[in-house]
Amino acid sequence: MRNKTFWIAYLLLLVAQLIISNFFRVTPYIMLSILPVMVLCIPTRVNTLWTMLIAFATGSTVDLLSEGVLGLNALALVPVAFLRNAVIHLIFGEELFARKEDFTLRSSGFAQVGLALLLVQALFLAIYIWADGAGTRPLPFNLYRFLASLGAGVLVSLIPLNVLASESRQ
Amino acid sequence: MKQQRLLFRLFNFAVFIFLEIAALQMVTHNAALQRVWVARGAHLFMGKVWGASQSIQSYFSLSGANRELSEENFRLLQELEQARERLRNARLDSLDTLYRPGFSMVAAEVVKVSRNKQHNYLILNRGYEDGIQEKSGIITPNGVVGIVDAVSEHHAFAFSFQNSDISISARLGSEGGSGLLVWDGIRSNGAILKEIPLQFRFQKGDTVYTSGHSLLFPPDIPLGIAGDAKVVNGATNEIAVRLFQDFSALRYVSVVHNNAFDEIEGFEQ
Repeated sequence: MRNKTFWIAYLLLLVAQLIISNFFRVTPYIMLSILPVMVLCIPTRVNTLWTMLIAFATGSTVDLLSEGVLGLNALALVPVAFLRNAVIHLIFGEELFARKEDFTLRSSGFAQVGLALLLVQALFLAIYIWADGAGTRPLPFNLYRFLASLGAGVLVSLIPLNVLASESRQ
Repeated sequence: MKQQRLLFRLFNFAVFIFLEIAALQMVTHNAALQRVWVARGAHLFMGKVWGASQSIQSYFSLSGANRELSEENFRLLQELEQARERLRNARLDSLDTLYRPGFSMVAAEVVKVSRNKQHNYLILNRGYEDGIQEKSGIITPNGVVGIVDAVSEHHAFAFSFQNSDISISARLGSEGGSGLLVWDGIRSNGAILKEIPLQFRFQKGDTVYTSGHSLLFPPDIPLGIAGDAKVVNGATNEIAVRLFQDFSALRYVSVVHNNAFDEIEGFEQ
């Protein structure tokens, strides 16, 4: 995917997230979000500083245009952006950065990409659910919500992952 | 290069913190629940920080605190000693209630006492510098204790009543017959009142007082309680007496001296 096309896809997925946030609230136990995978798939040539700024802007846009507590998505998404390079280093190794390449489903395999997706999704949800509960909800509720949202989120994120981490991104 | 990378990471971290604070600001501005939650967290954090800083400050000021405590301890010990001295003097002053007209009186403390012999003695912490004279009586509110025999500058040696050589003129009841009270030589509070004429009637439980016939002791000092009696040689009664004075708890006494002692003794000579 060429650079311009990536960002168009990114914006379209942002719109998709707005639709999910506003119309797909099935149960309080599930919080669907594709924002972590969107941040994870931002090309590696975009440095951490810019990734964080993009994540902050993305989260704030979703917060502003959807129901919910303003700032929560931004609060949970910035740490994903901050740790994104560390996650990529951990799972895909140093070579990716050395070759200035991005991970793709084909080059890195579903297992590695899926693990990276799981990690960023877990980080995002942990912060989001913790801040959303504000210490008022019992731990079992938060735990069920986290696990259910993680499972659903990873499944839903496979679609944007397939779009953003395709071979043509290089 | 490494330093530049480190600086870049630090800058990233600073931006990260800044963005998180901005997001938190948005959250707290728009949700009351989250506002309270963040405020509580901030208070807890500040409490921990202040607590830690206080602990560090306290640690470094320990030597000063120790010095202050040591000085305070020294001052308190001094005050304690002064209070003890005042209490001691107050106890001695309370013995002034034993005052009898015609007798001079000096308060004293027993510094040594023997109780396990047949000829027991006392040593007092007052001497002729304090107005103590030989042939003075030693009394307490509970009775007679002994007689001063020798006096030094600051101390006095006295025969204890628990001495087989000492006898005191005593009277049975307020108007009963007089006799000689001596230690029974066995019990610390046991005495025998001898030579009570048979015509004087008495009952078990009557109080025994100093008679005032002696030059050494003022009259009417209660000494003990009369017990069993027996007739001796068909002429006098001999009565067992339980003394009020507990010689094992003897500490503060009054030394009484008859102001007319020399004059009366002069007549006898």
